Amino acid sequence: MFEITYEAVVFILGITAVLAAFGVILCASPIYCALYLIGNMICLAMLYLLYNAEFIAAVQIIVYAGAVMILFLFIIALLGGAKEIVEPSVQRSSAFTFVFLLFGELLLAAGVGPTKSISGNLEPDVIAAIGSAKVVGVELFSRHLVPFELASILLLIATVGIICLAKFSYLPARKQSK
Amino acid sequence: MWDDILQFIDPVLNAGFIIGTVKAVVIAVGLLGIVPALVWLERRLMGRFQVRLGPNRVGPFGFGQPIADSIKLLFKESIIQSSADKFLFHLAPAIVVFTAIVTFAVIPFGEPLNVLGEEIGLWGANINSGLLFVFAISGMGVYGMVLAGLSSNNKYSLMGGLRSSAQMISYELTLGLSALSVIVLTGSLNLIDLVDSQKTIPYILVQPLAFLLFFIAGVAETNRAPFDLPEAEQELVAGFHTEYTGMKFAMFFMGEYVNMVTMSSLVTLLFLGGWNSYGLPLWPILAFAGKVFFLLCVFIWLRSTFPRLRYDRLMTFGWKFLLPICVFNLLITAVIKVLYFQ
Repeated sequence: MFEITYEAVVFILGITAVLAAFGVILCASPIYCALYLIGNMICLAMLYLLYNAEFIAAVQIIVYAGAVMILFLFIIALLGGAKEIVEPSVQRSSAFTFVFLLFGELLLAAGVGPTKSISGNLEPDVIAAIGSAKVVGVELFSRHLVPFELASILLLIATVGIICLAKFSYLPARKQSK
Repeated sequence: MWDDILQFIDPVLNAGFIIGTVKAVVIAVGLLGIVPALVWLERRLMGRFQVRLGPNRVGPFGFGQPIADSIKLLFKESIIQSSADKFLFHLAPAIVVFTAIVTFAVIPFGEPLNVLGEEIGLWGANINSGLLFVFAISGMGVYGMVLAGLSSNNKYSLMGGLRSSAQMISYELTLGLSALSVIVLTGSLNLIDLVDSQKTIPYILVQPLAFLLFFIAGVAETNRAPFDLPEAEQELVAGFHTEYTGMKFAMFFMGEYVNMVTMSSLVTLLFLGGWNSYGLPLWPILAFAGKVFFLLCVFIWLRSTFPRLRYDRLMTFGWKFLLPICVFNLLITAVIKVLYFQ
């Protein structure tokens, strides 16, 4: 019975996440789209939590739902969240084709068969430790050190690039204000 | 079936469901009960700071004032602008209060008590990533303000919402990084472990700089003066809650004060040693409450002392001043920890 309750909660959360994802693409008002996306991310975080990945769940909420989506809302607020007018166009039909293609691929992927079990040292205390900040940190800084550092350099380059792009355009205005 | 649901909710304690519910209700009601008292305290203290009396007519020492205020707010007409987005307009204050109360769920405020042979911890939940949970949920609180600004269909409100989102993102970094230098010392994100590791010496003496940075960022994060740019009465006509009246306005107020209590508790846990009383003959819970009370008074003191920052200076202060110091402090702490304590 415990398993059933657990599965039911996972199922309900998963369905909510899928519905929220549909809301993102089907909603006309950009503000609501962003809100659906936040809802989707929170659902994902809860799913991580159900799989004992406390750290990943917290990071998901802090980074994606907290910081990234705030920037989305920020931009929507600055550009004005006007509803888009629904009218048939070439892009629309091609987008629908793409969605159905993706859906077909998903079905194909689901048809491959049951998920494979992993092997390794799976003592109860090892399983309990999975997902804690310590385990994630040890894994990141030992086995995945090179990709991790490469990713950080990439992010640094992107940050410097953005600062350059943003700074040059309004340098004269800042000089004036001083 | 019911047993299984209980078991799912609390697999460790099994019968912990009832205890958990009682705790949740006590914490939520207690927090909301503190708000009127805090408003009274703030008005009285502000009065003294500004060499006037403050509210002193309703009841002894003006104790009746918060009750009168809440009754007034409850019975006020709730006005909704016709061009506002109704759903988001109602949702925004709910998010603010909800996140404020949920954040407090993982804050421990005393040693475990022994009641009727049952060990009861004085906290809502004891989770391993407690500190991350606090940051995650309090980070969600900003949506309340942003949505209030977006849905009001008012330029001042929109400006307030934009300001609050920018400010929260900027100061969250300082908040997180200064907390990190304490975590480097403890090696745990669990708030109870943090308190236990301060048995001999509070971290404010080990990490005074981190304490200062954390407190400044905390004041900014709770949108209190001198960082209350999102509301800035004189320029933005109260910012994101310009269009709100009655109880919905009061909910924003509640959120702010509950956040103040949470932030004070967090500073107490991280830097002032939580419920450790360091030789003073105090109950743990009283030691904790005393420290929180002191910090709340400091919050009010700051408000009545400092003028509001200019907006661009606020951003410069956050990004170019606080953040570099924070990173530097973290670096030094980590180096010292690795060199001398391992």
